[in-house]
Amino acid sequence: MEHRSLLGSRGTKADHETIFDLRIEELISDILGRDKDQFLLNVFEEPLTDRDAINFRLSIFTDLLNQSVYNAVTYFVDAIKDCKRLMNLEGDLYDEFKYGFHIDAALTYVNALENSWHLMDGLNLKSEGMTYFASYLKDLINGEGFKALKRATYEAKAARDRITVRIRISGLEVKVNRDENGEDLASKIEELFSRFKGQPVQELKPLTYLYNQQVTHVHAAILRGVYKVFREEFDIMKRLKDDFPDLVDEGIGSFAKEFEFYVRYIDYMRGIEANGYRFSIPRFTEDGSVHVKGFYSLLLAKKKVAVANDIRTSGDKRVFIITGVNGGGKTTFAISFGQLAFLSSIGVPVPAEEAELPAFSKIATVFPTGEGTLEGLSRLEEDVARVRKVLGSADSKTLVIVNELFSTTTSEEGFELARRFIGKIKDKGSYLLYVTFITRLAALEGVIPLSTVVEDDRITYRIVEGAPDSRSMAVRIASRYHLLYEDIRGALN
Amino acid sequence: MISFDLLKLGEAREIGGKEDLSRDLELEKIIEVMAQRDGLVAKECERVITLSRTDIPSIKYRQEAVKDAIQNRSAVLNAYRFTGEVVEETKRAAFLVSYDNAESVVHETASGLRVMIGAFRGLRGILNGAAFSSEAFRELVKSVEENADDAFISSASELLSYLNFGSSTEFSAQLGTGNTLRDPVFLVPEREGGIVKRLLSGRSGFAFRVDPRDESGGRILGDINNWVLSGLAPTMLKAYEHLLEFFRTLHEQLAFFVGAINLRDFFEKAGLPAAYPDLSPGSMRFRDLYPLSLAISANGKPVPNSLDARGVSAFVITGPNRGGKTTYLKAVGQAILLARAGLFVPAGEMVIPSPGAVFTHFEREEERTMSYGKFEEEVVRFSKILGSLKPGDYVLMNESFSTTNQVEASVVAEQVVSALVDGGITVFYVTFLQDFIYGFVKKEGEHVVLLTPERLEDGTRTFRLVRGSVQLGYAVEIWDKFFSKG
Repeated sequence: MEHRSLLGSRGTKADHETIFDLRIEELISDILGRDKDQFLLNVFEEPLTDRDAINFRLSIFTDLLNQSVYNAVTYFVDAIKDCKRLMNLEGDLYDEFKYGFHIDAALTYVNALENSWHLMDGLNLKSEGMTYFASYLKDLINGEGFKALKRATYEAKAARDRITVRIRISGLEVKVNRDENGEDLASKIEELFSRFKGQPVQELKPLTYLYNQQVTHVHAAILRGVYKVFREEFDIMKRLKDDFPDLVDEGIGSFAKEFEFYVRYIDYMRGIEANGYRFSIPRFTEDGSVHVKGFYSLLLAKKKVAVANDIRTSGDKRVFIITGVNGGGKTTFAISFGQLAFLSSIGVPVPAEEAELPAFSKIATVFPTGEGTLEGLSRLEEDVARVRKVLGSADSKTLVIVNELFSTTTSEEGFELARRFIGKIKDKGSYLLYVTFITRLAALEGVIPLSTVVEDDRITYRIVEGAPDSRSMAVRIASRYHLLYEDIRGALN
Repeated sequence: MISFDLLKLGEAREIGGKEDLSRDLELEKIIEVMAQRDGLVAKECERVITLSRTDIPSIKYRQEAVKDAIQNRSAVLNAYRFTGEVVEETKRAAFLVSYDNAESVVHETASGLRVMIGAFRGLRGILNGAAFSSEAFRELVKSVEENADDAFISSASELLSYLNFGSSTEFSAQLGTGNTLRDPVFLVPEREGGIVKRLLSGRSGFAFRVDPRDESGGRILGDINNWVLSGLAPTMLKAYEHLLEFFRTLHEQLAFFVGAINLRDFFEKAGLPAAYPDLSPGSMRFRDLYPLSLAISANGKPVPNSLDARGVSAFVITGPNRGGKTTYLKAVGQAILLARAGLFVPAGEMVIPSPGAVFTHFEREEERTMSYGKFEEEVVRFSKILGSLKPGDYVLMNESFSTTNQVEASVVAEQVVSALVDGGITVFYVTFLQDFIYGFVKKEGEHVVLLTPERLEDGTRTFRLVRGSVQLGYAVEIWDKFFSKG
């Protein structure tokens, strides 16, 4: 059976700015953990544009969200990894050890395939990818080649288990022989001194002498002796290595690698879910509508401090103007939605209770460049240049996220530039999330105003539809400390 | 199984609030006399005297053992010295600085074990030279005779001979991951005859020699050796520690009896009576009880007190200062502690109602000012005592709750003392709280004894406490006395 990829088709690497502004690298680093595999890193940075390709992956996720399927697949991935690790070990060792590690690699491989199939058999698999994997596995196990390998492996293991060796070390001299009825000194001592049972003493643990510390030339010499004393058993072990030098089927190897994309992401999800947050499989709308309920920042959810928000539009209005108090969660809102859109285009479950959104063909960001790197005028120029670039490639499937643009000029001028920019975006039919302190933008025709919510002088980090509150946080704080006009007048009276 | 228990302390450990108890009752003076500068004797005597929990059979058991030890004092003192020497010599022989190196653990414990195995004959000689009669000491003698017999000594010596320095290591192993060795078992070496047997059975085996110039090879052999011995090390350490524990425990337990012998010597020198107290529920009785710590610091005989009360669990002590109230409280507390330990007390006779623990709540110097803050501290201290209090215990209170005015303090005191008494606690309370004294005595009637310093007709103080009574209308009388004159 020919092998096909579980990732479907591959996407194209996203813009550097988008990855940077949306903090995608940080996100991927959380997902992949310490072990950053370049192959997986690439897959996570390559959004897909083809809806079928995205759904191919999402339906595999849907299958894997069933715990039994997940267990079977993680077992498979780990076992194959283990097998490959043992085979890699073989390479550098004295010949005496190769026979031994080959038995372990073969045992791991045989068990991996059989147990995986045992775990998969009877599961209700719906996705094209998973079904294909299951049938590939089944065919392989039932093939003659696998059966022969299994037989040889078990024979070699049984031969090894028959060996009990007696070793005598006196000075630099080592003698190897069969052990026949050797008497255990420890148990004799234990028995004689048991009459002195008293308080429990410090439990000394016997040293662990890891197998990878035991692959020296001296150990090899001992093993040579063992093979000589146990000639018959050695011949059986040798046969396994001679007859089956390569163990892992090529297709199986690729599956194991590709499954990691899914498994790592699900493991990451479980961690976030344990903090009380939810994920959902995104659905893609045709009519341009957006309907995302309870989405949140993954980077904050990790610390259990994320607040969920909603965003929706029927598709007629596609420009969102986000205003409100400083530190009220505006940028977080915009970045979180950007991440959600990005993740949906990778084909993975997204951080929201429900997510229906268009399959964006491109996500573009215009965030302020490093503070103070450019003089006022040239920064404004830079802003305009970036806006022009974004507008150049924007279409009705583009999502643009803008943070405090045109802030280096007067708000009057800033407003005017923004108004023009928004007008052009509207003409293209693109989606825009615009974070700004210029509240007048929220009153523009044909935009959806969003604003931060403050309750009892506390920032809630919720963002809702509506015009911003006129009473700012600064005024509330001044009031609490009796610094408002009336207070000061009263105090001066 | 070798077992002995000269003290029957059970699971109980030291009492909570030991520092307060020790300070309030001047226990260190008594311990000092018992220890005669031997730190271990001091520690063990303190441990038994400040025992948190005990029962009547254990107290009787210790009393018998103490009597026996005094009868057989030279055997007890010799056994104490000898076991101490064995422990010291063993520690010198077994130089166990760390447990990291299995080879050194095995060899060091083996030499420690050799010392201890050899010492059993000496111990048996000392114990057999005495005529013990108490259960405690007879069990010890029997157990040592039965378990540390000559057969044990020769078997142990043989097993240890396999572990001499420089002897070879023989072990069995199986093959694990990568055909590397696993599950090593240190084997009893095959005897010379084994080679002949091997040749006959056609097992020639395979032998090789690591080149002396191959330094890493030599090191690896050392690693293997250490690994094999690490399987033996826990057993060796256990045998060593348990045998050492035997000698150490025996030494420690004997230390208490050394303390008892020393205390007895002091009693004789000071001319104090010595009685082994009885326990009888509801009885609080003693005849000519001397305050021991005062006898020690005065090096003579202070004034003794007597008391005979049945069905009483509250003893309220009041009256002028410097009349012997605190000394009385200390004498009673010390005697109860000695009684629980199984020791003799400085009295002609003594009966206490229960084997309960003793707690003290004495006024602190730093609390001698009035403030709610201080009062709160007192209350906190008292609540800590309540945390470990059980029916049958004793609470000795010295001017408790005197950091606030007597009216509100009396209310608290009344609540506290009533609750304690009703809860089965025996209370001795030195106090000036008039509202409390009047109200409590009136309420409890027969169930409370009021004690006041004795004053003879001519006004002489005897420093003895006698039963007193509450004088009602005293103040009115005085008022009347002043105003009727008018």
